[in-house]
Amino acid sequence: MKKSLFLSLLSLLLVLAACSGSGGSDEEVASDVDLPEGTTEVTMWNLFGGGDAEFMQEIVDDFNESQDDYYINNVMQEFDEYYTKLLTSIGSGQGPDLAISHSHVLPELVNQGLVVDMTDIASEVGVNWDEFNQNILDATVYDDQHFAIPIDTHAQIMYVNNELVDEAGLMNDDGTIQMEESPEGYIEFFKTLDENLPDEIIPFTFSSTGGDPYWLWWGMYSQLGGEHILTEGDLENPTYDIDLDKAIKAAEFVKSLYHEHEIVPLNIQDFVSEFQSGNAATTTTGVWTTGLLETTEDLDFTPMPIPNVFGEKAAWASSHTLVLPYYDDADAEVQKGAVEFMKFATDNGAMWAEAGHIPAKDSVVESEEFQELPYRSEYAQVADYVNFVDRNVYARGIEEIITRNLDSIWAGEVEVEEAFSSIESEITDLIE
Amino acid sequence: MNSKKKAWMQDLRALPFLLPFFIAYLIFTIFPIFKGLEMSLYEWNLVRKLEFVGLENYTEMFQDEFFWDSLWNTTLFVILTTPTMVALALVLALLANLNTKLQTFFRGSFFLPSILSVAVISFLAIFMLQPYNGLVNTVLQLVGINAEPFWMADKTLAWVTIVVVTLWWTVGFNMVLFLAGLQDIPESLYEASEIDGATRWEQFRYITLPQLIPIGRVILLLQILASYKVFAQILLITGGGPGGATRPLIQYIYEVGFTKNNLGYAATMSYALFFILLVLSIIQLRSQRSEGK
Repeated sequence: MKKSLFLSLLSLLLVLAACSGSGGSDEEVASDVDLPEGTTEVTMWNLFGGGDAEFMQEIVDDFNESQDDYYINNVMQEFDEYYTKLLTSIGSGQGPDLAISHSHVLPELVNQGLVVDMTDIASEVGVNWDEFNQNILDATVYDDQHFAIPIDTHAQIMYVNNELVDEAGLMNDDGTIQMEESPEGYIEFFKTLDENLPDEIIPFTFSSTGGDPYWLWWGMYSQLGGEHILTEGDLENPTYDIDLDKAIKAAEFVKSLYHEHEIVPLNIQDFVSEFQSGNAATTTTGVWTTGLLETTEDLDFTPMPIPNVFGEKAAWASSHTLVLPYYDDADAEVQKGAVEFMKFATDNGAMWAEAGHIPAKDSVVESEEFQELPYRSEYAQVADYVNFVDRNVYARGIEEIITRNLDSIWAGEVEVEEAFSSIESEITDLIE
Repeated sequence: MNSKKKAWMQDLRALPFLLPFFIAYLIFTIFPIFKGLEMSLYEWNLVRKLEFVGLENYTEMFQDEFFWDSLWNTTLFVILTTPTMVALALVLALLANLNTKLQTFFRGSFFLPSILSVAVISFLAIFMLQPYNGLVNTVLQLVGINAEPFWMADKTLAWVTIVVVTLWWTVGFNMVLFLAGLQDIPESLYEASEIDGATRWEQFRYITLPQLIPIGRVILLLQILASYKVFAQILLITGGGPGGATRPLIQYIYEVGFTKNNLGYAATMSYALFFILLVLSIIQLRSQRSEGK
C-alpha cells in the first residue's frame, strides 16, 4: 500500500518537473543563436506572410551580417491575432523590442502610450526625415513627434492584361490604355472589353465583399473630394464628419460596376487567380500583388494607378511602419539597435519594394536600384496623393462596420442611402 | 472502519493523478470565469481596466440590436440543425447497424468527416460551392439547370450551406452515439417480439425507438449546447455575411472584444450566452429526471 502511494507521488513529481521544464524553454529559443560577445539582441515581431515575410527576412539577414553590434531576432506572428497579441503583450511588458504596425493601428498604440516617441533616438542614429515621402511620413507624426518610421506605402492600383486589352483594341502604342478619365469613360472602357473579348473573359475581376471594394469606394470618395469619415485631431474623441453626398455617389458608382453595367461578376471566390490565369482583362487590388503576378509564367501585365475618374487624383493606401514599444525598464542600447535597423530597412527600401510595395523614402524611389526593378516605377507616384484612413483609435472597428454595410450594398440587399444611415448610427455608437 | 480507511487511501492515491489537471483547470477555466464576470462590470480595453461601470454593459446589451440579431442567428442555427441532426444521425446509425457487407464501409464513411478540422471542411465546402467554377454549380449546369446560385453570398442559401456543411461534418459523432445505443438493446427483446409476430416496423416503433430515448436525450443536449457555440465554420465560409446576415453571437463577441477593443462589453455578452446555456441545461436535466421517475 505504502509503496504504491509513494509511486504515485513520484509520478506527480515527474509530471511537475516535466511541466516546469517545458515552461522555461520559451526563453531559450532566443539564445538558440550563438551571439558573439558584445552583441545586443533585439526581438522583432512582424505580421507578414508569403512573399512579404521572405523579403523582410532577407532585410533582417542583411542587417545582421552588415554589423556586429546588434542582432535582430525576427519573430513571425500570425496576422489574425497580431494586433491583439501586440497590444496586450506590450501592455504587460512582455512584448518585442521592435514591431511592425500598419499606419491605421498607430493611433491605438500612440494613444495608449504603448510606443515611444523616437524623435531623439532617430536623430542620434542619423535618420534623415527629409528623405521620406512627406505624405507617407505625415501618417506617423503626432504633435510633431515621430512615433514610427514608415517603410512603405501599399496602395490599391489597377492591373491590366496587355494581351487581352490589346486584343480588344484598347491599348495605345506606348503601352498605356485608352480610357477617358471620367465616370463614363471608366465604365465604357470595361464595356468595350466585354464586347470585344470572348464571352468567358471577365472584363474586370474583383471581389464583391470585404476590403477590396471598400478600398475602391474610399478611393472614389477621395477622388470626389471626400477626405474623412471622422474628424482628425483628438484620437479618442473624433466626430462623425462624412461628406454624405460624395460617399453615396462613390458607392452608387462602385455598385453600378456589379449591377447596372455588369462589368464585375458577383461573388468570385478568388478574383486575383482569375487575373493570374489570364481569364480576366483587368483587376484592381493592392500593390503587393505585383510580387505574385511577376512570378506567373506567360502573364504579360502592366500595373498602373487607379484611373482618375472623378477629377482629383486619389486612391486608398495603408503603410507598414516600424515602432518602438514602450517599457518602463527599456534598455537604451536595445532601442538604439532597433532604430538602427529601421534606418537600414528604409535605406534599403528597394529590397522591400521587391514585394511590390512603394518605398517610403523618395531618395530610394529615385535610386537606380529601384528604377531598375520592373513594374514598380509604373505606380510609385501614387505615394504623393494616396489618402490614408482617418487617424483615431477606432480605425479597426470602423473598417469592420463600413465593409459589412458596403457588402450589403454590393450584394444588392440594401439601398445605398439606407446603408449609410446605419453606418452613421453604428459609428456614432462606437465613438461615443 | 477499516474499509472506510481503505477507500480513503484509494482516493488519496488518485490525487496525484488528478492534481495536475485540476491545477490547469483552476487556472485556465475557473479563474477566467470569475475574471470574466469582473470584466463585464467594467469598461475594459485590450490593454487595461478603465473604470467601473456597474451594470451599464448589461443595459447596453439589451438595447443593442446587433446583439439580438446575432443571438437570433445563432438560435436559428440551433433550430435548423438540432432536429435534422438527430434525425439524420439516427437514420445513418440504423444504416450502419444493418448486418450487410457494407457495414464497415458505412461506419467509416459516415464518421470520416468528423476527424477533419474545421478549416479543412470549410475550405472543402468553399471549393465545391464557389460560383462560376465550383463543383456544385458546374454539375448543376451540366444537368441543364442554367443558374448560378451564390451558395455563400445569398442570405437564404448561405444558411442552407452552413447547415448542410455542419451536418456533414458532425453527424458522424452523433451516429456513433446512436450506434452504441442500438447495440445496447438486448437481442432477446427482438426475439420475443418475433415469436409474438411483430413486424419489422413494429419492432422499430415499440422496441428500438423507446430504447434509444435516453441516448437521444444526451445527443439532443450536447447538440444544442454545441450549436449555440457555433463560430468557426461560419466565420470561414461566409465571414458572418452577407452583411452580417449569418453572423453568430460568438463572432460578434469576438469582434467587439478584439477589433472594437471593448473587452468589458464582450465579456457581458459572453455571460448572456453562458446564462442561456445554463438555463437550457437545467431544463434538459429536469425533464430527464422527471422522466426517470
